[in-house]
Parts: sequence; C-alpha cells; structure tokens
Amino acid sequence: MTPELELVIAAFVGSAALTSLFVILALIGSLNPYHRPAIPMLGALAVILASTYLFAQMAGIATDSDALRLTLSEGVLALLELLPLAFLVFTFLFLQASFRKRPVDPLLALLESESGSE
Amino acid sequence: MSLWAAQVWLGLAVAVIGISMHRTGPAFRRHPFGAPVALLGVALMLFRVEEPPQPELGVVAAAIVAAMWLLPALVGSGLVLIGAPLYWRARPAPLLVGWALVAVAWYQYYSTMSVVPADALRWVSTLLGVLLALAVFALCVRTAERMTPQEPETEGLTEKERKYVESVLRRHLEVTDDP
Repeated sequence: MTPELELVIAAFVGSAALTSLFVILALIGSLNPYHRPAIPMLGALAVILASTYLFAQMAGIATDSDALRLTLSEGVLALLELLPLAFLVFTFLFLQASFRKRPVDPLLALLESESGSE
Repeated sequence: MSLWAAQVWLGLAVAVIGISMHRTGPAFRRHPFGAPVALLGVALMLFRVEEPPQPELGVVAAAIVAAMWLLPALVGSGLVLIGAPLYWRARPAPLLVGWALVAVAWYQYYSTMSVVPADALRWVSTLLGVLLALAVFALCVRTAERMTPQEPETEGLTEKERKYVESVLRRHLEVTDDP
C-alpha cells in the first residue's frame, strides 16, 4: 500500500472514529429523562472499534489502546484540515446573511390577526 | 497510556460535553454550566506540567497552530451573526468588526498553512468518514425510535393553556430591535 493511500484511509477511519466519539460525548452532555441513548451509543462504539481495527490492520500494530489513540489522533488532524473548507462555506453564508432583509415574522402576524378577529 | 496523554483526551471529552450541554435548552436560556465546562476542557488540554507523548503532542501542536486562524474566525463569525439582520435590524459596528476578523482569519490561514492539491483526496476521505459515522448514528436513532412504544394522542390546548402559550410567544418574539 502506498503512503498516500495509507494517509487517505487513515483520514477516513480517523474521522469516522472521532465523529462517533463526539456523538457519544454529545449524548452524555445532553442527557435527559426522555433520551434513549443506549442504541445510538452502541452504534457509535461499534464504528470506533471497527475504525480502530482497520487502522491497526493497516499500520500493522495490535488493536489496543495505542491503536485507538493513533486512530483518534488521525481523526483530529483530518478534521482540522477540513475546517477551512467548512469556514469557506460559512463565509459565503455570512455574506448572504449580511445583505439580506429582515423577514416579517409570520407567527406574530398570525397572532395579530387572531387577536383582531376575536 | 501516560497521565498526560489521558489529560489531553479527557480535556477534549470535557470540552465536547460542555459544548453539548450549552446547546441544550431554549436559545434564550442556555445551560448555565455548558460554557464553563467547555472552557475547563480546553484548559485541561492546554495547561499541563509535562509534555504529552506522541501522538497527543502532535494533536495539541496542530490544534494550537490551527487556533491562530480559528480564534479570529470564531469571534468574527459570532460578531457577523450578531450584526447581520437575522433576528433584528442590522448593526453595522459588530458586522464590520466581524468581517474584519473573518478577513484576518483567512489571512492567518494562508500565511500559516500550506494547501496542496493532494489534500483534496484527504478532504473527501475525511468527509466520507464523518458521513459514515453520522449515517450509523441516524440509523441507530431511527431504530431506537421505532422500538419506543407510541403514546396516545394528546388532547388539544385548553383556553387557559392557549393564552399562556400566546403570552410566552409574545414575550420572546415581540421584541424591540434589541437582542
């Protein structure tokens, strides 16, 4: 396997593992009595474990905590590389938002019409 | 795993949990502990007695380099959103300062980072990885929701409840042009 291909695969499994870790942490951070987080947590955990296994196989190392650390680190580096792309999209959205007119609130208009008809 | 490596991951975890806590609740009253917990996480990642081992050292170094353009980008984005005519009239001062910071962020990015065409393949690969994780999450949420027994249909609002909801909407929507 060429080093370039290894970098691409590392970015794929790393970002999948890190996103799943963020999903688990977000579920913990927003826990409330109406949540049913068990199945989504198990799914995210499965993605992390599968990504770590794939990374370990590719790097020729044991599937242990070191492989997990390396996978998540690759994910952080890959997502940091992707952030400028996201910022580019947001910059265009900010341009649109800066030049738009303030919309009329339809909910307030509805309330006004209802209270006027009573 | 060394103590300092664990501190980096613990800091990242606490920061993400703090951001998630901050996003809960209505927009006009965020979770009071969200922002402090997120800041505690960032502090845990950055302040340490010893240097963490690799690969955490590389992660922290890359995050610090990215912070050079990410910080003005985040502050600038916030100011642009405050100044733009989204929920109230346009406010030129924060809008202009925000755009200046967005410009600084892009300048910082191009002066500190080097982008080569080969990065595009890694970007696509990263995007696919993120999409895969989110797709699995969405499928799991759908499965969990399908397994949840349906509750009986709720009755309509009484006149008293309708008036209360109307008063809440008025208080939070019928604002002057201040945030």
